[in-house]
Amino acid sequence: MPETVPPNGAYMVAAYTIAAVILLFYTITLWRRGRTPRS
Amino acid sequence: MSLVQRGRWVTLVGLALLAGVYVRALVFTPVELHQGPAQKIFYVHVPAAWSAMLAMGLVGVASILYLLVKDARYDRFAAASAEVGTAFSLVMLTTGPIWAKPIWGTWWTWDARLTLTLFLFFLFLGYLLLRGAVTDVGLRARYSAVLGICGLVLLPFIHLSVYLFRTLHPMPIVLKPSAPSLPGVMLATLLFSVGVFTLLYVGFVMQRYGIGDRGEGGGTHA
Repeated sequence: MPETVPPNGAYMVAAYTIAAVILLFYTITLWRRGRTPRS
Repeated sequence: MSLVQRGRWVTLVGLALLAGVYVRALVFTPVELHQGPAQKIFYVHVPAAWSAMLAMGLVGVASILYLLVKDARYDRFAAASAEVGTAFSLVMLTTGPIWAKPIWGTWWTWDARLTLTLFLFFLFLGYLLLRGAVTDVGLRARYSAVLGICGLVLLPFIHLSVYLFRTLHPMPIVLKPSAPSLPGVMLATLLFSVGVFTLLYVGFVMQRYGIGDRGEGGGTHA
């Protein structure tokens, strides 16, 4: 068992942030497209 | 209430639960000693991969049904599922390398699993580009159904690639013949996240299906 936990928390924060940004961006995109009247 | 509006509510509930997944994963799930905090990327990467593969699987099933019964609703569902799958595969393909860098020492390697998942992403993109390029509704549905079935055929190869080829990617730890090899608290977090990502998939597809073919290559019948 390693004596110390690897200090790689920044990667975790980056991954969680990017996942949230992609999902929120797609949510907003769908919301905007849903509001556009049919042509 | 229209399908789009119901989809929005499902998505909102999904996003609220996603916040719950983040809190549970980051605060209440223990850090894995060997990999450190980066291991927690697993709780968004795996559910995103699951949703992307679910999306492509359902694109394939809907495509087969479309070719069998020629009901345009299957084609419309496949288009919706493909677009949503593209978003989830983007999450999968961004979080994976961010995990790989501290654990493997490299962002990317051309092993079988990674290459096949990249191919899945390109299939999603190709599917959407095809739909945008073909204006004839019947031709568009038929061509994209063939591509959708190709995507369905790809899925077992992606899942089994870690058994079939020498690969850096970890073996399955839940979807495997024996019992899941994860401590209970980590497995609970993973399953919670998989459920939430599946709910988000449902909400997104409901909205996208309700929006219909706006933004595609128009529509003229042959």
